[in-house]
Amino acid sequence: MATTVVNPLREGLRLARTPEPSTIVIFGGSGDLTSRKLMPALYNLALQRLLPATFSIVGAARQPLTDKRYRDELHTAVGEHSRTKPLNEEVWRSFAEHLYFVGTPDERGYDTLGQRLDRLDQDLGTNANRLFYLATPPAAYEPIVKAIGAHGLRGSTGWSRVVIEKPFGRDRESARVLTETIHTVFREDEVFRIDHYLGKETVQNILVMRFANGIFEPLWNRQYVDHVQITVAETIGVEERAGYYEQAGAMRDIVQNHLLQLLALVAMEPPAAFDDKSVRDEKVKVLHALRPVDADRLSDHAIRGQYGRGFVEGVAVPAYRREQGVAKDSRTETYVALKCFVDNWRWEGIPFYMRTGKRLPKRSTEIAIQFRVAPHQVFSREASEGLDPNALVLRIQPDEGVSLKFGAKVPVQGIRIRTVNMDFDYGASFMVDAPDAYETLILDALRGDATLFTRRDEVDQQWAFVDPIIDAWATAPAAPPIYEAGTWGPADADALVTADGRAWRKA
Amino acid sequence: MAQGVTIDAAFWGAEAAGIVALERELKRLRRAQSAHAREQARTVARAAVLNLVVYADRELHARRSAQSISDLASRHPSRAIVLLADRGAHEGAEGRLEMHCHLPTAENATQVCYEQILIRARGDADERLASVVIPLLVPDLPVFLWWTGSPPVAGRAFGQLVGLADRLVVDSADFARPEEMLPAIARISAQARGRFGLTDLNWTRLTPWREIVTSFFDVPAWRPFLDTVTGVRVGFAVDMDGRQILPSQALLFIGWLASRLGWRPIEALAPSEAGGLLFAVARADGARIQIRVRPRFERGLADGDVSGVRIQAERDGQQAEFVIKRQPDPRHQTASVLLGGERRWERTMPLPSFEIVELIGEELAIMGSDPTYEEALAALVRLG
Repeated sequence: MATTVVNPLREGLRLARTPEPSTIVIFGGSGDLTSRKLMPALYNLALQRLLPATFSIVGAARQPLTDKRYRDELHTAVGEHSRTKPLNEEVWRSFAEHLYFVGTPDERGYDTLGQRLDRLDQDLGTNANRLFYLATPPAAYEPIVKAIGAHGLRGSTGWSRVVIEKPFGRDRESARVLTETIHTVFREDEVFRIDHYLGKETVQNILVMRFANGIFEPLWNRQYVDHVQITVAETIGVEERAGYYEQAGAMRDIVQNHLLQLLALVAMEPPAAFDDKSVRDEKVKVLHALRPVDADRLSDHAIRGQYGRGFVEGVAVPAYRREQGVAKDSRTETYVALKCFVDNWRWEGIPFYMRTGKRLPKRSTEIAIQFRVAPHQVFSREASEGLDPNALVLRIQPDEGVSLKFGAKVPVQGIRIRTVNMDFDYGASFMVDAPDAYETLILDALRGDATLFTRRDEVDQQWAFVDPIIDAWATAPAAPPIYEAGTWGPADADALVTADGRAWRKA
Repeated sequence: MAQGVTIDAAFWGAEAAGIVALERELKRLRRAQSAHAREQARTVARAAVLNLVVYADRELHARRSAQSISDLASRHPSRAIVLLADRGAHEGAEGRLEMHCHLPTAENATQVCYEQILIRARGDADERLASVVIPLLVPDLPVFLWWTGSPPVAGRAFGQLVGLADRLVVDSADFARPEEMLPAIARISAQARGRFGLTDLNWTRLTPWREIVTSFFDVPAWRPFLDTVTGVRVGFAVDMDGRQILPSQALLFIGWLASRLGWRPIEALAPSEAGGLLFAVARADGARIQIRVRPRFERGLADGDVSGVRIQAERDGQQAEFVIKRQPDPRHQTASVLLGGERRWERTMPLPSFEIVELIGEELAIMGSDPTYEEALAALVRLG
């Protein structure tokens, strides 16, 4: 039983909500994710004075390392990857004093880990609050979770939670099996599945935009919205991730998690409260309402593509099949465009066009709500030539912000209308550096707030939507069409939208 | 100095004759700025989230606050009205305006345009001040009144200006006679309840200290020591000659502990060596707590800033000490916990900047009143 004694000093404004004293155990503690993302995030939390009163970090991995060696390696890594530079050596020294490493090559290693954790609890009075972070390749998730259970690494008092990186499974079935394995050791409310998109400030701002303001929500439905476009465009190619990407493709890498998250945030009903249950309940309802794609008429709803060679930002880049680690006849998709419908009262009949791809001309993530045109044209046709329908665009990266497109009169004699943009620039209004997504998510997991993490039924519905498309493509005789690097994807993707008399936005 | 100091037009802008002329001049400046920006293919966003009224009675203070506001423009774009009460000559209030366009350093950020107006009230013009401020406030936005120096709590101008404000910000570090001013501020704060919020920048300076002290007792094993505190020592900075004795901040810290933990006064504050204070309070269970507030000279600290805190406690025969020092340099804090004389825990954190612009920026982010502060202040006054 967790004993929570009220701290009478922690009352009132201004004091940041720091998590309870605890220990974070990172499996894959010497891996890439740890040194590039997790440690810099933890160090920056220390710098912002947001870590708990007593806190320690234990890295665990197969190969042995001494505490000293581990600290030295991370010192270099954090110095390189921290968003704040240069490293504050005083803070690092104090941070590193509470940083340990335990080798877990075999069963005995896990016992050693358990002993180390018990001793830290005793020294630091942390009440055995433990956060287990699985920063390993997915194949290691199940054995580690089982070992946590078998070696009693959950403390007898306090809380235990587990954070799991994406990808969570590679289809609906494997995701279910993984969840079941995790549930032998952790309850669902102790499981924190990461989708780092949800840790981004601007993604959270979608909820604030929609639900803290009174003026948008009345327009946010089929009465006023013509269609919605969601774009996640990357300029990079597969880089060093070919091993993973060949197996995943854009569908598993981006659509199943990030794109469907954005869709859910845009389409969801207002939650009753901003807490993990209410928000995720509403998101799951959207996924349930998502109309399954008809596999027989796949090309009316889902288009894939693979990049060929071309030019991106002025640089000649090779075709996907020429990338290191990619099969010469690879059929992995690097581009996906979808036309979806959310079959509910609010959105009936309104298409959601979504696209994502690598080696597109420009890095851009945005959600555009395209409104219907005014019902009756009061002005002459030539006066309104320069008039586009109203659009509200939520830009997620880069240049986070919101813009609203509307018509205004050109200052000449007579009426001439032109479309203007009213722009809200997030960066210019709040000059504070936005925290990194991992800082937000680690802090939330330490506090036990799961709002920004993916729940079991959410993952299940995400896979339920993408699985049939992936299967259909896998069995299709043709390879994905090739698009030239530095263009907006294959021609079929344009047809998906133009068939409805619409066009992709110039992102 | 019969005519008062000459206003530096290069800094504050040209003189405008009356409110209408002032508004016209603002419009002209905004347009010029937009045209200039358009040449560079940028847009200027005019933004205002609050009205900020600053009261100063010296040009130097007015200018310093104006500078702080400029630095804050991108975070808290505001219409700033700086009132300079210049008692040198006998003329009415005159408006002077100046407009700044601050170029944010962030990439791709648009320019933010905000407005700064100086009103210099010469002579005995106090009762006119509010009448100039009212028409200049941007409608429907909250009004922050930042009073530099000791507020003349009984004065008519003060009463009228406070009547316009949603929040009053003072700095007890500037109070010439804190023993009189702090109770006066406490009375204003009690009367203000529900009408406007009041804070003291000295309270803002305490936040990092309160944060760490609070965090000690988040640890379940250490939490019980909070009920058995036996002594508290707080050091505050003085200059080398020990002339500027400003214990307000340190006392406010004691007031905070007393209000949270239900400590009651048993002895009045008594002066001790070199400007320090030594007194005792009673714990909730009646036991005695020895409090020592003492001045220390330390390089790199502003006069009156807390330099260190030590809380001693004893429970079931075990001694505990919770210590925060400005180590290894004044820009860091090192917190340590000693049980039975043995070091159990230590960590070093950066201490946030205490630049006035940071403090004001923090205050502007808070809209309501701060009951924790009000209670701390009330407890402090009871100790006095």
